[in-house]
Amino acid sequence: MTWQPEIDDLREREKLAQQMGGAEKIERQRKGGKLTVRERIDHLLDPGSFHEIGGIAGKASYDAEGRLSGFLPANFVMGRGKIDGRPVVVGGDDFTVRGGAMDAAIGSKQVFAEQMANELRLPIIRLVDGTGGGGSVKTLESDGRSYVPYNQGWDWVVDNLAKVPVVGLGLGSVAGLGSSRLVTSHYSVMVEGISQMFIAGPPLVARTGETVTKEELGGTDICARAGAVDDIVASEAEAFARARRFLGYLPSNVYELPPRGPITDRTDRRDDWLIQAIPRDRRKVYDMRKIVRSVVDTDSFFEFSRKYGGSAITGLARLDGWPVAVLASDPYHYGGGWTADASIKITRFIDFAHTFHLPVVNFVDVPGFLIGKQSESEGTIRHGARALAALYQANVPWCSILVRRAFGVAGAAHADHTKLHYRYAWPSGDWGSLPIEGGIEAAYRAELAAAEDPAKLRVQIEERLNVFRSPFRTAEAFLVEEIIDPRETRPLLCEFANLAAPLRQPGTVATSFRP
Amino acid sequence: MANTEVKSEIAGTVQSIEKHPGEEVAIDDVIVLLDCMKMEIPVVAPAAGRIAALHVKAGDTLTEGQLVAVIER
Repeated sequence: MTWQPEIDDLREREKLAQQMGGAEKIERQRKGGKLTVRERIDHLLDPGSFHEIGGIAGKASYDAEGRLSGFLPANFVMGRGKIDGRPVVVGGDDFTVRGGAMDAAIGSKQVFAEQMANELRLPIIRLVDGTGGGGSVKTLESDGRSYVPYNQGWDWVVDNLAKVPVVGLGLGSVAGLGSSRLVTSHYSVMVEGISQMFIAGPPLVARTGETVTKEELGGTDICARAGAVDDIVASEAEAFARARRFLGYLPSNVYELPPRGPITDRTDRRDDWLIQAIPRDRRKVYDMRKIVRSVVDTDSFFEFSRKYGGSAITGLARLDGWPVAVLASDPYHYGGGWTADASIKITRFIDFAHTFHLPVVNFVDVPGFLIGKQSESEGTIRHGARALAALYQANVPWCSILVRRAFGVAGAAHADHTKLHYRYAWPSGDWGSLPIEGGIEAAYRAELAAAEDPAKLRVQIEERLNVFRSPFRTAEAFLVEEIIDPRETRPLLCEFANLAAPLRQPGTVATSFRP
Repeated sequence: MANTEVKSEIAGTVQSIEKHPGEEVAIDDVIVLLDCMKMEIPVVAPAAGRIAALHVKAGDTLTEGQLVAVIER
C-alpha cells in the first residue's frame, strides 16, 4: 500500500497550476511586454528559492466519474523565498486569470501572505498586476447578490507597515484595490510602458465625461510626480533589482537592526574637490547628489522618490558598511526650500527611518519654507509642521552637515534641537531666522522709509550686517559646535555611523497626533 | 528628428536667457536662469541638440511644469 496515486494526483494538479490562465492568455501577457507572475517570482528571488503555498488552490472541474477534468488556478501566486540569502514573502497577481480580478481569486491567499509576513516577521514584496483582487460586477450574476465592501486583510496590510519592510511593484495596469496594495508600502515602483495606476480606469472615468487613455490617466510620470509611487524604472528586471537593493539596507523586521554590509571603502577617504563644492556666490546652485555620493561608501547611495518634492533628496546609503538614511537639500529645486510636497516627502522619510532604526544623515541647505502665493495655497505650513512633528517624534541617531543655509522654521528643522547637537558646519555655512536679503525691509522699515535714498541705505545696511554673517562669529558663541573642512566629512560621518550603531534600538515605534 | 520639450521643474521669474534658438546645447547646459528664493536656478537641457524654440523671455513668471524650450536632435 502506498500513497503514490495521491502524490501523482498532487503533481498533476501542480502541473495544471503552472499553466496559469492558459497558453492564449500567457501569449497575450507576453505581447503586452509583461512577464508572467511565475517568471516574475523567479526573477525576483534567489534562484530555486521559491517555496509556493496554496499552488493548487483554484477552480477545479470534474467529469461524471468524479475525476479531475480541468483546473483554473486562483489568480494570486504566493509563498516564501530568499533575497540575498534572507527569507522573504512574495505574492503576485496572475493577470492571465481573469485579469487578476476578485471573481477568480481566493481572497484568503492574499490575507495568508500578509499574515505570514507579519507573524514570521519577514519582508513582503507585492507584485501587483490588474485590480489586485479587486471587485468585478460579474460577481453580481455569479453570486446572485451584492455585498457591502470591506478591505479584506487590511488589518495585516496596515500592521505590516509597522513591522516588516513592504515593497510594492506595479507591473501592469493597476486599479482600485490593486492601487491601494501597491502604495501601502515603504517602497513602490512602476515600470514605464507596461504599468499605469489609477483608482478607476478609463472606461469608468469615461462615464464621468472625461475621455482619457490609460497613460494620460495614470502613466508612470503622473504617478511619480504626484508622489503616489516612489520610483519609475524602464523594465521589470530593473524593478526587481531595485526591490532587492532596497531590502538590502533594511532589517527583516523592526525587531532587528539594519545589517552592516561589506566594508568596501576607506573611512579616511577625503575627496579634494569638496573644498570647492559650494560656490562662493550664494545665489549659485551646485550638485548636492555629487556631494552625497562622494562622502558615503562608494556606489552605496540609493536614492528614491526623486520625482516628488524635489527640494528634498531622500535615499539610503552606507557609511563604513552601516546602513543610514540620507536626507539632503537640492538647491536646483526652489533653492532647497521646503514645499508642501517636500514636507510630505520628509515626513514619510523620517517615519521610515524611525521605523527601521536607520540613523539619519542630513545634508542641509534650507533657505526656509518656499514663500509666496503658490506655497500658501498648497498649505505648505501645515505639511511643514507635520514634518517637524515627525522629526521631534523620531528617535534615531541623527547627524546634520550644515552645508550652506539654515534659515527659518524649516532650516531649524535640520535636527531635533533638544537632542545632542551632533552636527558639523562647512565654512560656507549661512544661517539665521531670516536671510539678510529679505529681512532688511521688514527690520529696518522706518529707517528705509525716512531715507533720502532708500536703495543706497539698503545696500549700506546689508554690508553692515554681512560682517556679522561669518559662521566663525556663531562658533565663537558655541552656537554652532564645529566648523570643518568639507574634505573631513566622510571620516567624521563614518565615525558617526560607528558610534550610532550600538545606540539603535530594535522594536516597534509609536507616534502621536500630528498637526 | 526627435524633439525634447524642456519644462521648468519650479515656479520662478526668468532672469536671463543663456541659450537662444539655433544654438547647440549639450546635456545639462543651462538654457535659462530663473530667479527664485533669492537664487539663480538654472533650467538645464535634458538632452543634447539644437534649441528649436524658446517659449519664454526675461521677466516672465513661470509656473511648475511650464514649457521653456524645445530641443531638436
